[in-house]
Amino acid sequence: MSTRRPHRWLRAAANLALIAALLFAVSFLPPDTSLKARQEAGVLKLCVPPSYPPLVTGDPEEPGFDIELAQHIAQSIGVRLIVNALPSIGRDFNPRNWQLSRAQCDMIAGGLTDTLQTRGFLQTIPTSAETGWVALAPQGKLPSPGAAAAVLPGSSGLDRLALSSWLRAQGLRPILVSSPDELVRALTEGRAQVGFTERFAASSITSLPPDITLSWLSAQDLPRYGMALGLWKGDQTLMRAVRAAMEALKQSGTLDKLRERYGLAGVLPEQGSL
Amino acid sequence: MSAIMPLLRGVYGVWLREVTRATRDRGQMIGGVSRPLIWLLILGVGLNPYFRGEVYGEVRYVIPYTYLQFLFPAVIVLNIMYTSIQFAVSVIWDREFGFLREVLVSPMPKPLVLLGKVLGGSTVATLHGAVVLILARFADVTMTPEQVVTALAFMFLLSFGLTCFGVILAARVRSFEGFGVFSNTLILPLYFTSSSVFPLDPALSRTQTTASYPEWLVFLVQINPITYAVDTLRGVLIGFNQFTPSYGPVIVVGMAIVFFVLALVDFGRS
Repeated sequence: MSTRRPHRWLRAAANLALIAALLFAVSFLPPDTSLKARQEAGVLKLCVPPSYPPLVTGDPEEPGFDIELAQHIAQSIGVRLIVNALPSIGRDFNPRNWQLSRAQCDMIAGGLTDTLQTRGFLQTIPTSAETGWVALAPQGKLPSPGAAAAVLPGSSGLDRLALSSWLRAQGLRPILVSSPDELVRALTEGRAQVGFTERFAASSITSLPPDITLSWLSAQDLPRYGMALGLWKGDQTLMRAVRAAMEALKQSGTLDKLRERYGLAGVLPEQGSL
Repeated sequence: MSAIMPLLRGVYGVWLREVTRATRDRGQMIGGVSRPLIWLLILGVGLNPYFRGEVYGEVRYVIPYTYLQFLFPAVIVLNIMYTSIQFAVSVIWDREFGFLREVLVSPMPKPLVLLGKVLGGSTVATLHGAVVLILARFADVTMTPEQVVTALAFMFLLSFGLTCFGVILAARVRSFEGFGVFSNTLILPLYFTSSSVFPLDPALSRTQTTASYPEWLVFLVQINPITYAVDTLRGVLIGFNQFTPSYGPVIVVGMAIVFFVLALVDFGRS
């Protein structure tokens, strides 16, 4: 009578399986209490600027793409959304001076660009909106060197130095303007032959002269950035829940409907392609 | 060809012995699990509140990843370091109990015996590094299959170099007790000075860095080869490098070659 010897790898495989199972089980432990704390409080506080159309409009009927997105996310997490519209957002170049703290905001939206610099302070979840520098030019064509260019920097944190270098390289003479209305006036009055601003600042202009066309500036020279929702670094469980809610909204088609509704789905032409 | 096959079978035999012995040893496997659990779960989660954001724009921890994500690749390297360097215990064991003598009187050339042993130790160390990848979900590190394959290849290369280093140590240690000293005086100092648990912000100049950390610490971090191994693995797994990305692979390949040659010299003397 002979007893069968176990296979030489059986014990090793059993040890490895045991370890893998243990580590796999551990990977499901919550690394923090951020989601639990929000669910216990029953609210999710969203900080946005008072107006950043079409992401934040201030209109209760159509509050904006980011606000409606956050409402869906809050609903999915099982909490109520509280919107804190803070005039300090975007007022200063340094976000530290916006004074956004954990006590005021669980999430930040309304013009947050998904850049390496932003990710140094916050965890970001892309919203599929995109921003960058755009040109407002007659028939979409840049004027000859020496022409005046009205520049509205906007508040999304795009690289203003890169735009300034690009303008210099094109031989254009920049004139700084402080509002979308002033940008339109500069173009209609002939003080400037072309205008440059951030994509969403441009989309808030309603009275654009008929011959002026909106187009992206070359992404090679001036990179475009995705927009994002920002969560505090270290709030892992909340971020996972928001990410899962975003995925569900994408799958259900709700995200596309929102993009359509707020005009984010439209594609801008490239500068020079017109 | 007929002369090579028996030699390759010999290398395979030595490799197989090392791998089966290590993977059957439940104690060694538990060691491989307890380290990532302690470092990632206890230290990572414990320190997470001190590294999280409180005020937008406030500079506290400027690395564009969470602390757990930052720590994750370093824990893999720690697991590899322990397993590789402790491989020396197996060499001392074989020397003390005569197995090495038996193998060394066989017709197999000494370099191939060493190669088999080192490949075995490297395989086990890579395995210990790879089990940490199971915790990627916990640390919120998402990886593509290409990233996993690249990470495993780099982990094997690092394991090879460090296992050779373990053999060099074994040649200089006469007892098991003496080896315990190495664990504490080599592995932990190398790990702590590899920018594994604290970042040197790559956006800062050397002058700015030395304003945050004393110059001697910055110097130790910069001359430590493990720093570049951790940095490469960070680059592969979370896309973040503090140093020039090509430094890591060059240093680790150099380490593997130099240590293998030195191990060969030491092993030849044994």
